Amino acid sequence: MINNWLRPWRDRAFQLLALAITIAGFALSSIILLHAELEQRFAVRTAEMLGGDLALTGTRAPEPAQQLLFKNSASSAVVDFSTVLVHNDQLLLVSARAVDRKYPLYGQMQTASGRFEPARPTPNGPAPGELWVADQVLDRLNVEPGDHLTIGSKTLKLSAIIRQLPDQSAGFYSMSPRVVFNQADLEATGVLGPGTRLQYRQMISTDSATLAQLQKNLNATLRPDQRLEDIDNAAVRSMGPLRQLTLWANLAVLLVSMLCGATIYLATSERVAQRARLAGLLRSFGARRQQIITRLLGTEFIAVLPASATGSLLGIALISALHQYLGWQGPLAATSIQWLTILFAPLVLWLAFALPRLTALVRIPAMDILNKRNKQQALSTNIEFAAALGAPVLLAGFLTDSLSDLGSLLLLLVVLGAGLPALLWPLLKGLNLISAKLPLAPRLALRRLSRRPSLTLPLLASLTLAMAVLSLAGQTGNQLLDDWRTRLPEQAPNHFVLNMFEADFETFNHWLEKQQAITQPLYPIVRGRLTEINGEPVSKAVTKEKENNNEALNRDLALTEAADMLPSNKINSGAWHPAKNTVSVEQELADRLGLKLGDKLMFITSRGSVNTTIASLREVDWDTFEPNFYFMFSPGGLANQDVTWLTGFWLPEGDGARLAELIKLLPHITLLDVNTLLEKANDIISQASGATALLAVLLMLSAMLVLAAALLGGQSQRGRDNALLRTLGGNRHLLYRVVWAEFITLCGCAAVGAIIIIVATLYPLTARLFNDQPQFSIWYLLPLLLGFGVAIVGVMASRGALNIPALSLLRDEA
Amino acid sequence: MPGPDGELTLLEDIDFTLSSEQSVAITGPSGSGKSTLLGLLAGLDIPTSGQVLLDGQTFSQLDEDGRAVRRGQLCAFVFQHFHLVNDLNAVENVMLPLELKGVEHPQQAARHWLERVGLEHRFKHFPSTLSGGEQQRVALARAFAMQPRLLFADEPTGSLDHANGKRVSELLFDLNRETGTALVLVTHDEHLAMRCQRRLRLEEGRLFEDQPSIDQASINQASINQSSVAKPSTEKPPTAARSTEQISSDQTLSENTR
Repeated sequence: MINNWLRPWRDRAFQLLALAITIAGFALSSIILLHAELEQRFAVRTAEMLGGDLALTGTRAPEPAQQLLFKNSASSAVVDFSTVLVHNDQLLLVSARAVDRKYPLYGQMQTASGRFEPARPTPNGPAPGELWVADQVLDRLNVEPGDHLTIGSKTLKLSAIIRQLPDQSAGFYSMSPRVVFNQADLEATGVLGPGTRLQYRQMISTDSATLAQLQKNLNATLRPDQRLEDIDNAAVRSMGPLRQLTLWANLAVLLVSMLCGATIYLATSERVAQRARLAGLLRSFGARRQQIITRLLGTEFIAVLPASATGSLLGIALISALHQYLGWQGPLAATSIQWLTILFAPLVLWLAFALPRLTALVRIPAMDILNKRNKQQALSTNIEFAAALGAPVLLAGFLTDSLSDLGSLLLLLVVLGAGLPALLWPLLKGLNLISAKLPLAPRLALRRLSRRPSLTLPLLASLTLAMAVLSLAGQTGNQLLDDWRTRLPEQAPNHFVLNMFEADFETFNHWLEKQQAITQPLYPIVRGRLTEINGEPVSKAVTKEKENNNEALNRDLALTEAADMLPSNKINSGAWHPAKNTVSVEQELADRLGLKLGDKLMFITSRGSVNTTIASLREVDWDTFEPNFYFMFSPGGLANQDVTWLTGFWLPEGDGARLAELIKLLPHITLLDVNTLLEKANDIISQASGATALLAVLLMLSAMLVLAAALLGGQSQRGRDNALLRTLGGNRHLLYRVVWAEFITLCGCAAVGAIIIIVATLYPLTARLFNDQPQFSIWYLLPLLLGFGVAIVGVMASRGALNIPALSLLRDEA
Repeated sequence: MPGPDGELTLLEDIDFTLSSEQSVAITGPSGSGKSTLLGLLAGLDIPTSGQVLLDGQTFSQLDEDGRAVRRGQLCAFVFQHFHLVNDLNAVENVMLPLELKGVEHPQQAARHWLERVGLEHRFKHFPSTLSGGEQQRVALARAFAMQPRLLFADEPTGSLDHANGKRVSELLFDLNRETGTALVLVTHDEHLAMRCQRRLRLEEGRLFEDQPSIDQASINQASINQSSVAKPSTEKPPTAARSTEQISSDQTLSENTR
């Protein structure tokens, strides 16, 4: 039994196959588990942003029939509305939220007990009679914890300062600061009457089994004012790091699966070729096809089991260690289907490639195999190679549910990977035709390459794909990290200042210098409300339904003017300030209001009205820690208006005394501390960066595995060629030169193919991941360097083939 | 070499000389060491003791590359399994050793030799589209195209049917005679062996000379020394009487020699 198990291990081709299966098991299990972890984290984050697995929003509470539908699930309701906060005759427009005792269902709130006190986790919302407020309220109304403020007819005690709410992201410097109080006090405020604009938000938490049914039932009962959101459609809206990472992880799973498939295919070719003689012999002894397949596969299956299990266990160990290291809670997140795939995918891939080859082998007459005739036909099928690349991709696609998302990109990669060698083939043939004038070594090398499509084409395809994936992994991973670093630099502003006047600049700058704070640009802010579109009042120009869904129409907006666009913004259409008195509008808002280029807008401000024309529509990254604006005017567009200024600065976290000093110097400014938000974002970025680096390493490892399998795969043929050349009088120097010429040609062609693939796939990939166009990068040329490296490794790996004794030909061993 | 029951000696006490234009057949049962001896004679391997001289120069003194170059200059091979390069056509297979030698217009020479073996209608055919007999004729053309002074043939008809075998052997001996090439033929086929001027028989690693065969008169000089003890080459009789092309083997082949 043990002998049976050990026997295949004595063969070099089997050792290579076992190594390929081990590494494929490792790469597949690591990447599937990591992907599951990331997906879960992304889902949790999206659920936090949404407030639940489902969020039902409307202008009034859900109907009793609807409430019956989710009565068995955990749920929480909040009411969001704009109102006025009163303190000692001072009024402030705020975004109020009335929460119940179950709020929040997901995520964590953080509050502070004083203006400069540290944030602390807070599990439940404010008790009845209490009020939490954002920093701005303290500055604008000049209040502090313990003071009493009034909303409508109800006076509430300010008990905490909001540092972070689970669904809080952008808009932290909103004109209407957030206040939170208990729903028990809502009726007593008396602010809700007929016609009051409010959003009633019911958040529901449920298990995945009942989610789909509940969603279906609720969808069937929606009122016209109601909207039901789930994690999937909420996630689509986000382009934050987690979304990018999940997309990239999906792509990595698909690519790793494809590369592992290619590796096992190449390694299986070599092993099946080795087993051909035994198959022929068994046939000559009268064994039936079925018996041969069972016998050959049976022994191999038992022998590869430990290889596969070792690989999978190594992958599980790696991700478990990472899980522990990053402090992720709970067990590994993989589903049962994913676990099955982890355990069996390498074996299934191997069987899928070995079985058709053996089946083809046993169809060939035994003598043909024994006499080594028909060998090429038995083992070479390009369709098989396409299947080797395609099948694992499909498998991974179903696992990650990302084929619809990334399918076209993958298809492009696979088609180019398999198709480019076919395009390069005529080039090789042509080179061979003109090789008569070349020196002997390149002539022999070109002849070898151009006459063996069954060996050269899969090798060329594998090298091309592996080089392309290596470069893509390097470039994309690097670009993701860069993107996140740009979005959240090490010293991103952790404080924002609003309501500053021009006269304050000197004092403010002096204070900044003293504190050695890192400053940001200053933005002029004019408060204004959009009132007319193309001469028509907004109420007529925008449908009632759109109006209800647009907070932008119901509140003052922060209008600004700037000569330069913000780095994180991108023009989707039109041009950045092509003329005086033009404005650039945020794309999503423009879509919601039906605004288009050339539309004329009128805003009402404290100084009257401002008229302007839309010159560009702009995409805004709300996840950056820099000010973003819906409307950015051309310079001078807001002249003669009442202007305040907004800026940000980075200050090392301290005891708050320095900030208190600033407030004392400029008591009318509003100071926002976004350290807590920044920390959370930083935490996400650092985890995403770690995961990205790991994914890139796994991808590169898989690509290198393909390279190794491809290089080692052709060694026996190369050995036979060299033995014959040596018998005929070729010296070692010539053999070396032939091998060099062979690998330089092969790797050169593969590098060119890889560059074409990179250029072709980077456009869709960059558009998906970064919502941007790719910039030229030195990574494009990496395949050339890789090609040179691979050629060196190839020649080194061929040293064994150079040393095969010529005598082996006499013995017919080669 | 190591065997299941300890060290295994493949060849022992072998000492013979081969003159130019002489043909010698080496026969013997399977496993007697015929191919091993052929490999040693051709410098594809070196003996663990003793030496092989080709044209007065010992192979053992040359490194792997030196032996390859010398082989390319003086020797050619015909194998039982043809060993044509599958992805080269007939002309290219014949051209291969000529290219290695740096011969000018190798294609012309290759075509000439293919015509000589009657394959003028198969120039562009690949080995997979040729019969066994045709493949062996390409191998013969490849061997003679090198204009070797010594041809090694290892069971050249071993993979062929009777008719093809006969045709190949006719060609082999005709060309051998025409070109004046010395021939070392390893074969099981007694009829084929009978056509050589000398017949040596390998049994259990030792070499015996059979009765002189036809064309004995053409032998310039031959001496076979059979001894139960290996003699160092310095103890051998003076070789002044030998012709300029000669092969001498005096060896005990043991571990590390294949």
